[in-house]
Amino acid sequence: MNSDDVMVKIGSLTKSFGHIKALDNMNLDIKKGELLGIIGPNGAGKTTAIRIICCILQPNSGEVMVGGYSIYNDQIKIKSMIGYLPEEPNLYERFKARNLLKYFGELYGVPKNQLDGRIDELLELVGMSERAEDRINTFSKGLRQRIGIARALIHDPELIIFDEPTMGLDPATSRTVRNFIKELKGDKTVILCTHYMDEADLLCDRVAILNQGRIRDIGTPKTLKEQVHGDIILKVKVHQPQKIDTNRITALNSVEALNLEGNQFLISLNTREDISTIIDVFGSQAYSVNTKEPTLDDVFIQSV
Amino acid sequence: MNFNTNFLTITRWEFKNTLKSKKFLLIFLMQLSVLFMLIILFNSFAVKMESEEGISLTPSLVDFAALDIDDRGGLFKKYVNPEIIDITSYNDNNSLSRIEKGEIGGWLKVSPDSIERIQKGEVVDIVLYLDYSDPRRSVIKDEVNSTIQSLSTVLTRAYLPSTNTENTKNTSITEVKTSESLPIQLIKKVMLSVLLFLPLFLFGNIIIDSVVGEKERKTGEILVAMPISTGEILLGKGLAVVAISALQVAMWIIVLIGAGFIIQNVILVYLLVVLTAVPIVGLTSIIAAYAKNYKEAGIGISFAYIVVVGILIVPALVYISRTSYSANFSPMTTVMRLFTGETIALPELLMSVIFVIIMSILTFWIATLLFKRDDILFGPRPGPITLILQILGIKKR
Repeated sequence: MNSDDVMVKIGSLTKSFGHIKALDNMNLDIKKGELLGIIGPNGAGKTTAIRIICCILQPNSGEVMVGGYSIYNDQIKIKSMIGYLPEEPNLYERFKARNLLKYFGELYGVPKNQLDGRIDELLELVGMSERAEDRINTFSKGLRQRIGIARALIHDPELIIFDEPTMGLDPATSRTVRNFIKELKGDKTVILCTHYMDEADLLCDRVAILNQGRIRDIGTPKTLKEQVHGDIILKVKVHQPQKIDTNRITALNSVEALNLEGNQFLISLNTREDISTIIDVFGSQAYSVNTKEPTLDDVFIQSV
Repeated sequence: MNFNTNFLTITRWEFKNTLKSKKFLLIFLMQLSVLFMLIILFNSFAVKMESEEGISLTPSLVDFAALDIDDRGGLFKKYVNPEIIDITSYNDNNSLSRIEKGEIGGWLKVSPDSIERIQKGEVVDIVLYLDYSDPRRSVIKDEVNSTIQSLSTVLTRAYLPSTNTENTKNTSITEVKTSESLPIQLIKKVMLSVLLFLPLFLFGNIIIDSVVGEKERKTGEILVAMPISTGEILLGKGLAVVAISALQVAMWIIVLIGAGFIIQNVILVYLLVVLTAVPIVGLTSIIAAYAKNYKEAGIGISFAYIVVVGILIVPALVYISRTSYSANFSPMTTVMRLFTGETIALPELLMSVIFVIIMSILTFWIATLLFKRDDILFGPRPGPITLILQILGIKKR
């Protein structure tokens, strides 16, 4: 990757909290204009990594460059480039929506003659124009999240970081938030931390799987799914699993993996050509046969 | 370290929002009502102090006060307690100039024919001159009163059959007042100083709410992610509280003047009181930066403010009793001297101003040091001893 194309470069990043290692020699490059998803179980180090990129936390060692600036020497410049939406959109309760955006706009140094226009534009974008003069403490979680997004975008940042943006939101609001993120794709570099694999699958150009402070796998959702499970998963439920000659199945060229869960076989295939052969092997033992496309859930479970 | 004027944005918004908040208005009104109550209370206290049943403030100290006695008969001199009063005998009017020079606290003049008068059962003329700018005069006054009482009892017992008891009973002191009494000085100096400085201690909760509230509401994360240094964040928030204190002090001064208190050099007094708000806010910021929650911060400021009150008030009291030069480091001493119209030399004024400035820099520096540490902001927070060792460079992070 050309260094000019890299928006965020993380090298050998380590961060500990007491005896707990949150990040362990983490390495990651994020391209300009890319929407990168970071997925991982609770405590994997996602939020720590994000906070270090945002210059909120100081690492123990390693380097992070954002837009060519180092987090050690150019914190103010880096912070100016980033729009950050934390996991919980904790906003100042007493502020009115418009005033909140104005406050943060001023802190980000948005020129005064442009600020009001920018606020109107963002309120329109997040569908909150009608509630501009209402106080934050009258808003539901979904509405707060919308204002949080507007706040993160107030200074038109080059890099936008969303930490679990749809967590705890109802399906309709989640969809709205995902649509905002989708609209940002291409223009901005976006880092999306999420627990929701379908969200990462739907939105991200690339997905990094983080576990125990290390990147375990990274690639496009399609590549990841292919790497782990092939193109298709065959699910076969049988009466007596021990009676199946699994060697005949694994000997087939299209079979990438075979797992047994209870009385169900999960067979990862890279082509569909051997499906009928496999069903023949099961014979009358099989009482249910299904196929499914692999998802990031499968990738995630296998990786962690 | 990048340092710009972004902190003024924080100051402006914090100030505006505080003034708009109902909680602030409630505190503000409550403070004003407390002020009115204090004024009423102090006025009634002053009346009591001035009355016969007034509260005795006499300290018991060896050679605490010096007194000239012109008592040719030698009767009174014998009965004055030499453990408290350093007695010098003078038989001329030179004692008055000695009072003016501050060499002695008073001069007791007993009529030269006192013994003959007592023997005749006549009234003895006694005049006590006191230096009313010297607080030790109350000790002298008490001792002279006590001596007369003792002497009167002794003489009454000795001459009872032949003495006119009425005349003996009426033996008393004639006071020549040259300035204010100690109770009035206490009220006008110490209590007025306390009233002037009191608002500075009433807004600790605002800075606590402003800093600890960011942690409790978890809004601090967004604020720290802004392109603004932690020092600027704290400075911005602190200045807003100083501005609110300035407003409050101005209101209190107006109310105090309206209530009849005389405040000379009012502008200088105001500026020095407001300047003193800066290190107090700085100290509160240290506690707020370190505290995990409101409860911890509340305990912290209770202890810290006791120390601050001590630092302010003790030198002021020392100054009243001994006119100590070094007591001027406390801004309360300087303010007290300013509002009473006392002449203050520039070095004395600078002493307190420099002290306040140094304390302001020191407190804000420590507060910033704490606030920019992510372990203090997000945990796990180091204990106070570990933290001190780390700040001193004895222990590594």
